[in-house]
Order: sequence, then C-alpha cells, then structure tokens
Amino acid sequence: MNHQKLFESDISSEAAKEWRSKGKKVLGVICCHVPEEIFYAADVLPIRMRATGCVDSSEAETWMSSFSCSFAKAMLQYWLDGTYELDGFVTSDGCLMAARVFDNAAYINEREKKGQFIRQIGAPRKRSPRTIPFYKAELADLVDELEKFTGSKITDEKLKEAAAKYNEARALVSQLYELRKEKNPVISGADTLRITLAATNMPIDEYIELLKAFLADAKNRTPITDARARIMVIGSALDNPEYLEVIEEKGGIVVADALCFGNRGFGEPLVVDDKDVLGSIADYYLSRLVCPRMMDKHEEMHDFIIKSVREYNVDGVIYQRMQNCEVWGGENVLLEQKLKNQGIPLLTVEREEQMANAGQLAVRAEAFIEMIEKED
Amino acid sequence: MADVKNLEELVLKGEMTIVEFACTKIDGSIERMKERNPEMLWTMEIQKFMWDGYRDAHKNGKKLVFYGGSVPTEIIAAFDCVGFYMDTIPFRLSTNPALTAKYIDEAEKYVAPSMCGLDKTELGAWLCGAYGIKPDIFVYNSVPCDSSRIAYPALEKIIGVPTFSFDTPFRRDERGAEYLADQIEDFIAFMEEHTGNKLDWDKLKYYMENANRNFELQRKCADLRKHKPCPLPGRLLVLNGTTNAAACYPIMGDLYESELEVGQMMIDLGMGACPDEKYRIAMLQNMIWGNAGIMDWMQKEYNAVAVMDAFGFQGDIIYEHMDDRRDCLKVMGKKIQNNPMIHGASGPSEHHIKMVDEIFEQYDANVSMFLGHVGCKHTWASAKMVSDMVQEKYGLPTLFIDLDAIDGRYKSSDEIKAQIKEYFETVVMQ
Ligand code: SF4
Ligand code: SF4
Repeated sequence: MNHQKLFESDISSEAAKEWRSKGKKVLGVICCHVPEEIFYAADVLPIRMRATGCVDSSEAETWMSSFSCSFAKAMLQYWLDGTYELDGFVTSDGCLMAARVFDNAAYINEREKKGQFIRQIGAPRKRSPRTIPFYKAELADLVDELEKFTGSKITDEKLKEAAAKYNEARALVSQLYELRKEKNPVISGADTLRITLAATNMPIDEYIELLKAFLADAKNRTPITDARARIMVIGSALDNPEYLEVIEEKGGIVVADALCFGNRGFGEPLVVDDKDVLGSIADYYLSRLVCPRMMDKHEEMHDFIIKSVREYNVDGVIYQRMQNCEVWGGENVLLEQKLKNQGIPLLTVEREEQMANAGQLAVRAEAFIEMIEKED
Repeated sequence: MADVKNLEELVLKGEMTIVEFACTKIDGSIERMKERNPEMLWTMEIQKFMWDGYRDAHKNGKKLVFYGGSVPTEIIAAFDCVGFYMDTIPFRLSTNPALTAKYIDEAEKYVAPSMCGLDKTELGAWLCGAYGIKPDIFVYNSVPCDSSRIAYPALEKIIGVPTFSFDTPFRRDERGAEYLADQIEDFIAFMEEHTGNKLDWDKLKYYMENANRNFELQRKCADLRKHKPCPLPGRLLVLNGTTNAAACYPIMGDLYESELEVGQMMIDLGMGACPDEKYRIAMLQNMIWGNAGIMDWMQKEYNAVAVMDAFGFQGDIIYEHMDDRRDCLKVMGKKIQNNPMIHGASGPSEHHIKMVDEIFEQYDANVSMFLGHVGCKHTWASAKMVSDMVQEKYGLPTLFIDLDAIDGRYKSSDEIKAQIKEYFETVVMQ
C-alpha cells in the first residue's frame, strides 16, 4: 500500500470534500480538549485545525490584533479563507487565543448570517472529582448538539467503537515513536511530524491503514547515520515540519517531542468504563498529558520530558515558544533548573508561525548541536 | 521622610522590602496631602488600610493569605485572615518604573517576554525575595488569563505553602455557577483545615453585607458619572479598580461614600471634573495604571473626561438570600466570573461588547478609547468586535493605544499623550 499520503502535511480540503460528497458533515476541531471520538461516533469527520503553510494572516490579524499568537491567527485566517471547506468547528477554551478564534468566528458567523455550526465547550484546567463531572456535562451537550446537527444518535456502543479506533491509532503512533529510539533511526523528526500531522486531516480509519503500511515498510528504510546530536523538541503548537528540518539540516536529529501535534496529541490508550462511557472520555482528556494549559500538570510534563530524554537517549532539548503563547511561555520557571539538575542541555528559542526567522534558528541550532554533540 | 528616589534605591539594593516601601510611601503621601489637599485624604486611607494590614498581619496574630486572580475574598475575611491580592504589588509599583523593570527583568530570565507585566512583576519580585511578607496560605484561580494561570501554578511551587486553586469556566451560566459553588465548598473545607477554625456564617454574612453595600455605593458613584458635566475625575475610575482587594471591607464603602459626597457636591455646585466639559470618553479598556495622570491632562487640555470604563463597570451581582448557603456560594461564583480584570475583558467577548454597549447607552459618551495593556492579548483579540459595534451603533471611531500597564519602559507618558493629542486634533475636534 502506498503510504506517501502520510507525508503530505500541507493543508488541503481533499478529505473534507470527499467526506461531504457522501452527504456527511465535516467539522474543525481546535486544540486537544475536544474529544474526536465523539465526532467519529456521530459519523462526522473531525479535522484538527492548524496553520501549516499560512503565509499571510493579515485579515485575521485585524480581528485578533498583532498581540495574538500567530498560530491562532493563522487558524482563523484559514477559517476566514474557507481553506478547509468545513461545516463549522468546535473548540474548547484551551487557551485564550483559541477562545478568541471562537469568539471572532462566532461573531462573524452571526453578523454575516452564515449559519455555520460553531460551538465551544468548557474544558477544566485541573483534573479532580469536581472537574470531571463538569467536563462530562459539557461533552454531553456536545453530543446532543451533534446529534441534532447530523441526525444520527451517538450511543455508548458507538463511542466505545470510536475509542477502540483511536486507541489503535495511538498504539501505532507509539510504534512509530519506538523507531526513533534506535541508535540510527529510520525516520527523521520532520518526517515523524509529517506523519502525526497527517492524522489531523483524514479519516482515522484511513490513517490507521496508511500507518500500518508505513510501519510494515519501515525496516526497508535507510537508517540515518550522520546525525551529530539527538534532540527533543518541546513547546508551543508546532505544525510546520520545515521547522524541524532546519534543525536537522544542521546535523541534529529530532528523536522525541512533547508537542501537541506530535506524540502528546495521541497519548496513552483511553480505557473505557462500560458503566460510564462519556465519563471515561472526560476523565481521559483531563488526565492526558498534552498541554501546560492544565494547571496541575506542569510537574508531570517536566517528568515526562526528563523520562523521554532518557528513553530516547536525547543529547539536548530545544524549547520553542511561540510569541504571545503564554501557555508554553512560562514553562521555564521550574523546568530549566530541573533539566540543569539532570545535566540536560536546553536551548530556548522564540518562534512565529510564519518561518521568518529560519536563519536565526539555523545559527542557534547549529551552535547548540556543536555544544551537545558527543564523540562516538 | 526620605524621598521616593531614595526609597527606590533602598528597594533596588535589597535593603528595603516592597511592603515597607509601599507603607512608607503611603505615609509620606498622607503627610503631604494633609498639608496641601486634606479634603482628598480619603483616597489614600484605603491604601494605608490595605498595606499596613498586610505588613502587620502576623504581628496581629492573623494568617496571611496570598491570592491570585479572582477568589471569594469574603471567605478569607470570614476566617479572620488577611487576604493579600498579589496584583496589588504591580499596581503599587507601576508608578516606579525602575522597580518594576528590575522584577520584570528577573522574571524574564525564565518566562517569555510577552507574559503580562503584572505576573512578571509578582514572579520576579518573589524570586528576588523582595516582598517582605510570607503567606501562610495561597489561593489562586484559573482566571483571568493565560499569563496568570501559568504564573500562579509556578508560584505555588516556589512559595511552597498550602494552596487551593479554583477552576473557573469561561462561559457564564447556571452550570458554571454550580460548579464554582461546589469548589467554594471545597475551599471552605480547605480553610477550616488550615486555619483550625470552623466557618462562622455570621461573620461571612457581615462581609457579604459589606460587599453588597460597597457594590451598591459603587453603582451610585457610577450613576453620578452620567450627570453632565461628569462630576468625578477619570482618575477615580482607576482607583476604583482596587475593589478586588477590598471589596468586602467597610473601608471600601467609606471610600465610595466619600466619592459620592464629592460627586454630589460638585453636582450641587454645577461643577464638573472639567471646567468646561466638551468630551465624554468611554474607555473600552482602561489599563493606564502607571500613567493615571494622563486622565487629569486630558481634562485640562481637551476638556475631556473619562466617564466610564469597561474595567470597573460592573453588573448587578449582589447577595440576596443571606441565609441560603448554596445561593450565597453561587453568587460568589458569579462574582468570581465578573470582577474587574475578568468580566468583559477575559471572559467571552460577547460580555465585553454588551458592557461597552451599556456604557454608551447610559453615559452619553462622544469619544471612544481603548487603552489596552499589551499583556492582555485576549482583550486585544476582542478589540475589533467591540470597536466595530461602537462604530456601527454610535458612529464613533475608536482610538487604540497599546501600553504596558506596569512596565514603564514600553511606552512613556509623553508618547501616550502624543497619540492622544494627535487623535483629538485630527479626529475628535474635526
Ligand atoms: S500556540 Fe499557545 S497561545 Fe497559540 S493556540 Fe496554542 S497554546 Fe494557545
Ligand atoms: S492585566 Fe490582563 S494579562 Fe495581566 S493578569 Fe490581568 S487579565 Fe491577565
């Protein structure tokens, strides 16, 4: 099976068009606290919205100002442009920038009487016996709304089936990440990101088949032997493989990440309690370690980073933070010292969605790689 | 008394703490005011009450509770604790740019420069060991914004005292009020555990009654501003922003009583904050804390008075059934979602739009300004929706000025004035 489609990370409306041609709905999803399982159960294609390749978000900037995160602005821009050809989108109040994408889009939708399905669910910022029922109630509202929107009933059975399907994808992505633990991995960081990004823009069934094919074929790939340093990348939403390419062109190989479009967007399997299926989904999404928007998960995220450094034999961590992304922007207060205590080198770089400062990244990445590379 | 520059030097060298600095500075201002402007002493009394209270909490045998963001201060007070609203540090230091610069630079060793100057100042000052007080308890909330909800968990780890955190939903509805009421129950249990006292409902009632009184007085002051000419100066809008820290104490009501008295007297005398009021400014955002003198300057220079802002302007959330515990806790929840810093600006944009609309409807404003703090990216991301509404419904263009409410290095007072001047001369006065 040709799995080339896994490497096409540019945004296209192809999947949406095809899905809609069958008379079914396609909805965008913003950020990691909108469970895609619910969409699958409603036979809706969820497209996780991103900003890859957006070179001009000036219209969105007039709505969100120059002080907003450029990833969020570019998502709004693609929405305004109709790039995805969606029937609407669902967000959580992931961060305030994502919340404002919702506010502005909902405002424009109302003003221009477009009648698109634009919804927001509240996602708590802590996991506790108080927060899980709240979130579950928000998800139940989403279930109701999707049922009305699609006319199809979302049963527990369908949700369980969806969870199993997404778990299959999660397991395959973790096999993909296993490949990167090798001394000479057969896949670069940029290509791994392309593969995880592909999941955002195609039906999960298709993704699973393609990824299985890729994994079956992986042993035939040529190992990468010329990398001078093994790198982990952490930080703000990163949906641009070229960013990692700049680092890899300077002799590093990105072998691990804590990115919401990478490893963290998949996470561990969702364990369903038959007695409370929606509650299990709510609990899972509040427990999943994906984004420092969760106020009670900073330490866990730091521990995950340190554990990954060990497991993937990482030489140094690159922490990229999007300008005006406060969610990731404050992570260094405790992390830097922890990494120092563990003897793990750290490079902090500022970034914008549009790759205007690739030259500067190249210079800094090269200097960092030189500093951390080990003699064999 | 040493002058402010000398005091600043001492703080910069680490020889004086921020709390000592604030108390000494306030005492000095009071002395000067007694000589030059004794009728305005009430504007300083609240500050003295607050800062002396923080400094002397332990001496007075009270536990000190630091809090970040919007929390139910009535409960902190009912447990006989002194609540210290952490934002009062950056508010207080915003007129001392050398100090805020030091703490902001310290914080920026770790956090992204785009983080809000308030949070950076709080964090940096703590990392420098400059507060001069240490809490027994820390409480914070997931509101108002991304900056604070990242800074507070970090402070929780660094400060290392028993901590309680609230999660506040973005949307405002019944579910959210119930959710917050549940968490307030948990907070009460937490306070009982860490103070060793049971919640005394009568004491809580006392503070809720105070909060109601203050709220009603605040509304009356706001109503006075509808009068033409506006009897109260724009600067007082900035002062009223302190409601967060003192919203349930009698002293806040005393401040409003005095404000009302002055306002009423001005009306009786047929006088306004401007000698010849021409322009009534609605502030869509009003984060000019470090440069509040600009309000006076606009009054003098252009006969333009800020009549109301979307920062301190509030809705009608009062305690109605004081013996109904659940109802009271739900009201507290709603207050959490609606206090200054959160209400319009960092909740759903529709609230901000609605509030600004009400201001225009009620205050007959003929100038629209958005003095936005660069830290509040979320407010900027609503700005077009809000100003479009003002343009479409009231036919007024809005002046946008980006400033840093705390970090004086971002834009000087002269630069802000120049932007305002240009706007008046090329738009408003044409
Ligand atoms: S990159 Fe940061 S600010 Fe931007 S949408 Fe993601 S979490 Fe929010
Ligand atoms: S001023 Fe704005 S950015 Fe700063 S803490 Fe308040 S809401 Fe957040």
